[in-house]
Amino acid sequence: MALVEIRDVHKTFGKVEVLKGVSLDVEEGEIVTIIGRSGSGKSTLLRCINALESVDSGEIRVEGQKVHAKMPGLKKFRQRVGIVFQAFNLFPHLKVERNITLAPLLTGRIEKAKARALAEDVLTRVGLADKIDAWPEQLSGGQQQRVAIARCLAMAPHLMLFDEVTSALDPELVGEVLKVMEAMAKQGMTMILVTHEMGFARNVANRIVFMHQGRVWEQGPPARLFASPETPELASFIASAK
Amino acid sequence: MRSFSLIDFASLFIALRWTVALVVLALLFGAPFALGLAMGRISRFAGLRWTMAALIQVIQSVPLLGLLFFFYFGMPVFLGIQVPALVAVTVAYTLYTAAFLGEIWRGGLEAVKQAQWEAGACLGLSAWQQFHHIVAPQALRLSLPPTVGFLVQLIKGTSLASILGFVELARAGQVVSAATFQPLLTYALVAAIYFALCLPLTLWSRSLEARLDGSR
Amino acid sequence: MNFLPLWRYQSQLIEGAIVTLELTVISALAGLVIGIAGAVALKGRITPLRWMVRGYIELFRNTPSLIQIFIVFFVLPNFGLKLPAFEAAAVALSLYFGAYSVEIIRAGLDSIPRSQVEAGQCIGLSGWQVFRHIILPPALRNAYPAVTSQFVLLLLGTSLASQVAADELFHVAGFIESRTYRSFEVYAVICAVYFAMAMSFKALFAVIGLAAFRWPRRR
Repeated sequence: MALVEIRDVHKTFGKVEVLKGVSLDVEEGEIVTIIGRSGSGKSTLLRCINALESVDSGEIRVEGQKVHAKMPGLKKFRQRVGIVFQAFNLFPHLKVERNITLAPLLTGRIEKAKARALAEDVLTRVGLADKIDAWPEQLSGGQQQRVAIARCLAMAPHLMLFDEVTSALDPELVGEVLKVMEAMAKQGMTMILVTHEMGFARNVANRIVFMHQGRVWEQGPPARLFASPETPELASFIASAK
Repeated sequence: MRSFSLIDFASLFIALRWTVALVVLALLFGAPFALGLAMGRISRFAGLRWTMAALIQVIQSVPLLGLLFFFYFGMPVFLGIQVPALVAVTVAYTLYTAAFLGEIWRGGLEAVKQAQWEAGACLGLSAWQQFHHIVAPQALRLSLPPTVGFLVQLIKGTSLASILGFVELARAGQVVSAATFQPLLTYALVAAIYFALCLPLTLWSRSLEARLDGSR
Repeated sequence: MNFLPLWRYQSQLIEGAIVTLELTVISALAGLVIGIAGAVALKGRITPLRWMVRGYIELFRNTPSLIQIFIVFFVLPNFGLKLPAFEAAAVALSLYFGAYSVEIIRAGLDSIPRSQVEAGQCIGLSGWQVFRHIILPPALRNAYPAVTSQFVLLLLGTSLASQVAADELFHVAGFIESRTYRSFEVYAVICAVYFAMAMSFKALFAVIGLAAFRWPRRR
C-alpha cells in the first residue's frame, strides 16, 4: 500500500474543470515533484491531499485513510500531514517560538515544560536556532519560510506537502530554503512538492510528475524525463523553463 | 387632547425646513473652515499643525449638546450683545462640522501617496499647485464616503437644536406628541422621516466606498 | 463672568460625572454583547436572522439617538414597559452602541485573511482553537481603534439622557443653572469636565493598546 493513493480524481471550480481524472501513487520516503504550467491543476491537487479542497469524484487515500473535507478525525489527520504555503502564513501576532509550539501544545502532543526544547530542536534543523524569540515581521522571506517548515516539523508529520514555497522569495533567499528541504529528503521524509525550481526537481526528486490540462501527462525519474521527454508538451515546457 | 390628524402630519414635514436649514448653514460655514483645518494639519509649520490638532481635539472631546449650550450662553457674555439663537447654534454646528470634516479630509490628504507630491514637484509645480491640481482632487475622492457618512451624523445632530427651542423635526415631534397623546405614532413617524433622510445617504456612502475599493 | 457660585455644587458635579460614567460603561458593555451576537448572526446561515440584524443596524444608525431615547422612555410604557430615566437611556444607548459595534466587530473578524485560518487548520487545530488563537488577537487589535473612539462618542452622547431627566452630568448642569443663574459658567465647566473625562479615556485606551498588542505592525 502506497502512502498516498490518488485514484481518478475530478474537481471543478465553478464552470472550469481543473482536475480531469488524476491518478498517482506516492510511496513512503519518495520525493515527488509536480511540475507544469499555471492552470494545470498542480496546486489544486496538492490542496486536495490534505482536504483543503474537496474532490468532486474519485478518491484520495493517505495511509489507507480516505481523505475528504468532512472526514472523521480530520484534525488528527492534518497533524500527520504538514503543508508549507507560498505565502508562509506565519502568525504575525506570535513570536517564532509560539508559532512553532502553538499546535503541539494545544493538541496535547507535548507538555509545556518541553515546548521550548522542541522549538529549539526544529529551528536548529532549519538553521534558525538564534531566531527563536523573534517576531515573524522581523525575518526575511527565506527565514519566514524556514520557520514555516519548522512549524510543520514540530508536529512530526508522516508526509510533507510544499506548494510553490520558493515562488514568493527573492532569488538570493531561495537557496537557504531548498537546502533545508534537501536535508529533510535525505532524512527520509515523504515529500510532494509543487515547484518551478527545476534544479531541485532534477537533483533531489525521485520522480517528476508533469501535469498538463488537469491530468498527469508524463512521469518518471528526473534524469530520463529531462533528457528525453516522451510528449511534446513536456518538451516545450522544459524548453521554456530554461 | 386632540386626535392625530393631517395637520400634525404636515407640521412634522414643515419642521424639516429647520433641519435642512441647520445642515446647510453648518456645511456652508463649516466646510471652508474644515478645509483650512485639514490643510493646517498637514502644513510644514509644526506650530500650525499642533494648534489645529489641539483645536480639533477640543471640539471632538465635548458633547455636541455642550457645544450648543456653550455658545448659546457664551456668545452674549463674550460679545456683550444679545445674539439670536440661530447665530449661536450655527456657530456651534459650524465648529462641530469643521472639526469632524477637517479630520476626515486630513485623512484623505494623508492617504494620497507621497509619490504624488513628488511627481508634481518633478514637473516643476509649486507646493500650492501640487496641492490644488494633483493631491486635493485625489484626496476628495478618497474622502467622499466618510464625508457623506458625516452628513448623516450632522442631520441626526440637528435634533439637538430642539432643546434650544428650534422647531425642527425632533421638536415638532415633541409638540405633536404632547398635543395628541400619541407618542408611539408621533415618534415612529419622526424616526421614519429621519430614516428616510439618512438611509439613502448611508447607502450612497457605502456604494462610493465599494467603488473606491474596486478601482484601487 | 463669575464662576464662584458654582463652587458649592462640586459634589453634585462629581455625582453627575459618576452617573455619566456608569451609564457609559453599562451601555458600552451591553452594546458590545449585542455587537458580538450581531456579528455572529451576520456570519451565520439563517437568512431571516441576517436580515433582522441588518434592519436593526440600519434603523439605529440612521435615526438620532435623542429620538431613540424618547421612544424608549415615552413610548414603551404604552406596551407595559415603564423604565426610569437612567434605565431607559441605558437601553437606548446600548442598542445604539450595539448597532455600531456589529459593524466594527464584523470588520475586525473579516480583516483576518483566509490563509491564516487555513494555516491554523493545517497544523491540526480545532475550529475553536483557530478562532481563539489565530483570529481573535489580530481581530481585536484591528477593531480596537474603532471601538475605543465609539466609546468616547458614547461618553459624550450620554449627555442626551439629560432630556429625560436622568441624573447624569448634563442634567446636573441644568440643576445648577437653575440655582445660580450663571448659565454660561455652568456649561463652560461641564464642557471642561467632559473634556477631561474624554481625554482621560483616550489616554487610558492608548496605554492599554500599547500594553495589550505588542507584536510589530506589518511593514
